Amino acid sequence: MLRYYLRLAFNSLRRTPGLTALMVCAIALGIAACIVTLTVYHAMSGNPIWWKNNVLYAVTMDSWDPGTPYDSKHPTLPPPQLTYKDAIYLASSNIPKRKVIMTQLTGMLNGAPGQAVPLRVMTRATTRDFFAMFDVPFEYGGGWRGSDRDALPEIVLSKQVNAELFGGADSVGRSISWNGNRFRVVGVLRKWQPLPRFYDVVNSAFPPPEGTDQVFVPFAWMTALQALPTGNMTCHGSGGVDNYQQFLGSECLWIEMWAELPTAAGRERFRAFMDAYWAAQRKTGRFQRPLNNRLTDVGQWLQDNGVVTSDSRILLRVAFAFLAVCLINTVGILLTKFLRAAPIIGVRRALGANRRHIFMQHIVEVAVVSVAGGLLGLAVGAAGLAGVRAIHAQDNTYAMLAHFDPLGVAWALALAAASTLAAGLYPAWSVGRLPPAGYLKSR
Amino acid sequence: MNLNLRPILSALARNRTGAVLIALEIAIALAVMVNATWIVAQRVQQIEEPSGFDARDMFAIGVSALSSHSDLGAAQREDLAYLRSLPGVVAASATSSVPLSPYGQGTSLSPLPGSNAPMTWTRMMEADEATLETLGVRIIAGRNFGAADIRPLTKGFFQAYPEVIITQSLADKLFPGGNALGKPVYSGDNTPMTVVGITSNFIPSVADTPAYDALLVPQAPGDFGIYFCLVRTRPGMTATLLQTAERHLATSNLDRVIFSAQTLPYYRARLDASSRDMAIFLAVVTALILSVTCLGIFGLTTFNVSTRTKQIGTLRAVGARKRDIVAHYLVENAIVLVTGGAVGCVLALGVGQWLSDQYQLPRLDLHFLVIGVVGLAVIGQLAAWHPARRAAAVPPSVATRTI
Amino acid sequence: MLKMQDVSKVYRTDLIETHALRNFSLEVKSGQFVAVSGPSGSGKTTFLNVAGLLETFDTGIYELNGQDVARLSDDARSRMRNEKIGFIFQSFNLIPDLDIYDNVDVPLRYRRMKAAERNRRITKALELVGLASRMKHMPSQLSGGQQQRVAIARAIAGDPALILADEPTGNLDSLMARQVVDLLEQINEMGTTIVLVTHDPELARRAQRNVHVVDGVVIDSAPYERRIPTEEAHGGVSRSAG
Repeated sequence: MLRYYLRLAFNSLRRTPGLTALMVCAIALGIAACIVTLTVYHAMSGNPIWWKNNVLYAVTMDSWDPGTPYDSKHPTLPPPQLTYKDAIYLASSNIPKRKVIMTQLTGMLNGAPGQAVPLRVMTRATTRDFFAMFDVPFEYGGGWRGSDRDALPEIVLSKQVNAELFGGADSVGRSISWNGNRFRVVGVLRKWQPLPRFYDVVNSAFPPPEGTDQVFVPFAWMTALQALPTGNMTCHGSGGVDNYQQFLGSECLWIEMWAELPTAAGRERFRAFMDAYWAAQRKTGRFQRPLNNRLTDVGQWLQDNGVVTSDSRILLRVAFAFLAVCLINTVGILLTKFLRAAPIIGVRRALGANRRHIFMQHIVEVAVVSVAGGLLGLAVGAAGLAGVRAIHAQDNTYAMLAHFDPLGVAWALALAAASTLAAGLYPAWSVGRLPPAGYLKSR
Repeated sequence: MNLNLRPILSALARNRTGAVLIALEIAIALAVMVNATWIVAQRVQQIEEPSGFDARDMFAIGVSALSSHSDLGAAQREDLAYLRSLPGVVAASATSSVPLSPYGQGTSLSPLPGSNAPMTWTRMMEADEATLETLGVRIIAGRNFGAADIRPLTKGFFQAYPEVIITQSLADKLFPGGNALGKPVYSGDNTPMTVVGITSNFIPSVADTPAYDALLVPQAPGDFGIYFCLVRTRPGMTATLLQTAERHLATSNLDRVIFSAQTLPYYRARLDASSRDMAIFLAVVTALILSVTCLGIFGLTTFNVSTRTKQIGTLRAVGARKRDIVAHYLVENAIVLVTGGAVGCVLALGVGQWLSDQYQLPRLDLHFLVIGVVGLAVIGQLAAWHPARRAAAVPPSVATRTI
Repeated sequence: MLKMQDVSKVYRTDLIETHALRNFSLEVKSGQFVAVSGPSGSGKTTFLNVAGLLETFDTGIYELNGQDVARLSDDARSRMRNEKIGFIFQSFNLIPDLDIYDNVDVPLRYRRMKAAERNRRITKALELVGLASRMKHMPSQLSGGQQQRVAIARAIAGDPALILADEPTGNLDSLMARQVVDLLEQINEMGTTIVLVTHDPELARRAQRNVHVVDGVVIDSAPYERRIPTEEAHGGVSRSAG
């Protein structure tokens, strides 16, 4: 029976090639638009550490100028970074299960066997909990385990740096020089590039190739080498800074802090801890802005920092509106076409078809249009994504679109099937309800 | 012409669902197209925002110190000397930021001293005497830095400078009455920095601050272990000179390393990228929605005509002229367009309001709405024109034919 | 086979009430060949629609093949139409996009027959009407008479107990009409009950029995031969309902 209905469907669709083409192409375009925007939106806004969304929190306090907000476009948000003083104090708390403070600076690697020229690397100076907190995968070895207060000469390499300097071999235990100091390799990462780079959106949520973290050193080296961060840093406040000590005590914001707080009680306690510190510091003249201590989860963090741009959300809505237009178009065409065939449907009913037969016959026709439109839409959507990727070949932002992941394909197919079938349900159903007699009268 | 609306309306009422669907389609299409075009106009405006200088024949090379012991001051002097010696290089300068790129710094300034003074956040650039010439930016008032004014690189931090240069845009913000020249500005303390020069507006580097606010300080860059060599070349020679320079500088001084070498147009393109993408996508979708809607009108009207040939023939047989048939279909179409358009206007305004509330976009310009409605009406009627002509061509004899 | 007792059907619109059938009573025994005639608007077509379960009726009893059809569901009615009744229409009503074979096939498909069985029946039916050689042709390639014969093949392919025909010769010239009538007689001789509605006196003469309907009521139910004098008495007067 299905084969019969398929034959009838193809017959019917062939009879009006223009309308059929219009329906299929319109659906295909609508679905392609949705696929492209959905994939881009999903890739750009997805929380790459979603399994820890209720556990990891960005720690921020508002130490900015009382006269103006840090970001005039989002005046209620505190700055995303902390001063050295505040970071060190907050990190001294034992309330969080784990915590990390970190910053970014450039470094020079030298002394690997056979290395001709020094290699400039983007370095993340971080305390040791970084790796456990963010579930960073290691190929060889692991992170350092000593005290955060000590400038341990231990370094972790990214997979790419390890490949470039040691040919990808297990380099744990090998010696290398970073910014002129001898370090021992304690770990090499697997390929790890969460996008968006949620833990450091300030420097860039989608870092260009020259901006991704390539090596990791203990945070204490900042003070040990009197090094300045080369990532984002904003300062305000009175007085010039004449030396490094004054720099550490200044109102310059250059440190990101994250805390692992799995329980609500823990979060309450930590917030109380932050508030107490804030109150105490306020008495000395700092923190003159209203109280705005925050613990922000990753999803909200991405939103606050504009990682999910309003643009991608607008695009998503436009794409869906377009799909709606295409579907309405299709419903109209199907309805008109089916109703026009009313006399023939009357004949079939006279010959013994019941309402279900008529409905099935027309739903099959709808399904053929839907499958054709869906497949075409997938193809056009894939081409569209390939085009987007090609245009942004050098931009890391779109690198993750390299793979048309199976989840995306499944989504697209489901979208195609569901939307078109939904569109065709009404026409197919209403045509089955036509009374047979009315359309048989030939006079 | 005898426009008898009642038969037309009753014919429409009998084919209600089809007409309602088209009207709905038109409403949504109108709402989307008007707002999408509005956003495109905004983005195009952003893309066309002039950089304030001719970025076409410029490139920038980023240099990073090898270790904390590197003498970046000497490296700078060496690099600039080499670059200026290259034939085809018009000017070269050492700066702490690259215009149009995200590499840059900012600071806050006030016309009043003290830490409680109202501050304006602005981009900042450590520059030398050749910077303005390299950029090709004009001095409107006052003077440029002299070679002797440039403070050499030391390990100091955030010192106050006796003399600074600001852009016109920043001058207007700090001194609304005019006459910024010669006035002091402060960076949150009591040390005055005198404005010795005011330049025309240009984009120093990219951030959330207003585009053209910039402060130039006479300082050899390199506090953070990084500096940039900004170079202007003669037209057409940028690509080759960039390659030559990069190759030489990579090995000429092993105390420092080249970490980036790009033309300024590259940064401009990156800057415009997201606006451009958005504009292109919206423009494409707008065109597609318009096409789909019009093809839908065309297709359905053609179809309706082909199923009603008997009625048309009968009408003609009883005396309707070709003109009357055409009018019938165009009026029928017009009713649907007007209904859809009216709903679409309400929808478009609603969407526009929502967009401006949610996403801080400027309010929809009503001109766009008017143009959208008129445009859609005209194109919608054009879509029904051909089928209406086909209807008029149905011969009256069809009325008497049996099936 | 077909037993109607005091069946009434009223069409109601906002303004008019039309009594298409009024206390209509008719009994057709299995194997009979009955012609129903009457002036236009007399309710003949409504009778055929009700008889063929294409329309419902308001009051009365209708038994088809021994079964009371009043409370049958739409599904059951469809099944009856499919298995027990064969329709022949004035304007043939073949499906224009299907070829002859597929047209005859349509009712068999709704019976879920296997392909071999269907093929056998279709071939037999087309052979009976003399159009087996044109199986793959489209309806538009056939003359009016040939199309009607295909419609007849379609009606008998499922071995129905009853054939209902609405002016089967109405759109045909006299030669083609005669062919059709011959066929119908043949089918009747094979045991199928035939009830047809017609204006054509030739066709009516060939039927065993004639029923005359005026204003929704059966006026007379008798073989045609006895009708001739009464027909002249009625001649010229045609009352229309509504």
